[in-house]
Amino acid sequence: MASRTKQKEEARARRLAEERARVERVRRQRRLQMVGGIVAGAVIVVVALVLISSGSGGAAKETGLQSGTKANATATSVDQMFAGISQGGNRLGQPNAPVTMTYYGDYECPVCQAFTLQGGFPQLVANDVRSGKVKVVYRSFCTATCGGPGESVFNTQQVAGLAAGRQNLFWQFTELFYREQGQEDTGYVNESYLDGLAQQIPGLSISAWKTARNDPNLAAQVASDQNSAKQIGVSGTPTLIFSGPKGQAAASQAVPTYAQLESVIKQVS
Amino acid sequence: MSALASNGAAPRSRLDGRLRIAILVLTLIGIGVAGYLTYTHYAKIKVICGSNGGCETVQSSVYSKLDGVPVAVLGLAGYIGILFSLAIRSELGRAAAFGIALVGFLFSMYLTYREAFTIHAYCYWCLSSALLMTLLVILTAIRFLRVDAPPRPPKTMPRAERRRVERRQAARR
Repeated sequence: MASRTKQKEEARARRLAEERARVERVRRQRRLQMVGGIVAGAVIVVVALVLISSGSGGAAKETGLQSGTKANATATSVDQMFAGISQGGNRLGQPNAPVTMTYYGDYECPVCQAFTLQGGFPQLVANDVRSGKVKVVYRSFCTATCGGPGESVFNTQQVAGLAAGRQNLFWQFTELFYREQGQEDTGYVNESYLDGLAQQIPGLSISAWKTARNDPNLAAQVASDQNSAKQIGVSGTPTLIFSGPKGQAAASQAVPTYAQLESVIKQVS
Repeated sequence: MSALASNGAAPRSRLDGRLRIAILVLTLIGIGVAGYLTYTHYAKIKVICGSNGGCETVQSSVYSKLDGVPVAVLGLAGYIGILFSLAIRSELGRAAAFGIALVGFLFSMYLTYREAFTIHAYCYWCLSSALLMTLLVILTAIRFLRVDAPPRPPKTMPRAERRRVERRQAARR
């Protein structure tokens, strides 16, 4: 009797063990299928994100250089922005203005473009620079360009701006570059792009501009700007440093509004 | 009793608890990092950066946005997704946490590659986030693969015993 009970218990234990093993097997299989599904899904999502990020998800490479009536409208607007304001080389405004804003920039930097299109720069020019209270001095500092095509293109494009400065048209060239900036990291800055910008500047002698571009002093100025920026710890563009009778202060926002610029100007004047 | 002990449900439950705490801590740090980068982007203020100053170079690059959406926002959404998945105490929750962390990890690796070979500048905040995602994908993978809900007692078990096992399992959870 006792042995029959024992046999029954053993049979039950065996059945339980088999059942448990079967459940475990099914669960392991299901787990592996889920891991495969999750990994495949994650790879698909990341590939899609990478395609969008690198711009190959449909967006064609484009140059920002405008043509026709659009180019005319931009050139007219830029010309009006600076008309009647004193310029000399990389300076905008009266040489004896009490406050100086040193603007560290990179022509290919989209944040510098935002400072012109959405930030307080146009209003600063219209009010404080035009009235003689503030002058702006531009210094070259490689950020976005050095993240893409590299330093040699940076030198070429910044020198092109300084060459326009030899005809006191530096700021027209600079502003046009920002307004017609191409898609970053696509290598859009080439000779035809720079020529195209130069041709949009009313009053610029193209032949004199081309000659000035070969002046080694301009390349040296770009190198010197970069060195001085590194020495004072500039890390991004635009970096805007104001100096006036009461000292020096920098705008803390990446794209400051006019009100924010005004508050820094007040600090130093 | 023997059924529970043989499946190791108790140690696995402890493992789950520890992993959940570690994942929670890493996720909260990640929310802090991604939240700060998102805030600086929309407030248009400069990122506090170390002496190398690469943060602004990286943040002003084309790779800082994905079809107009800052990648910091995507990171923030990912960390919040992992946080919510922790609240789901089932296999689905563990799978979701692993899936989100895996996407975050792979995309972070891509962005780090861009920093090294295209932008030639490093942003410590972005590198911190990449490190957090790496740790999270490891922990969520371990949690998904090693932590089991204890198996339901087989139907062949007598009903009274089955109820007893289920009650014990519920008490341990």
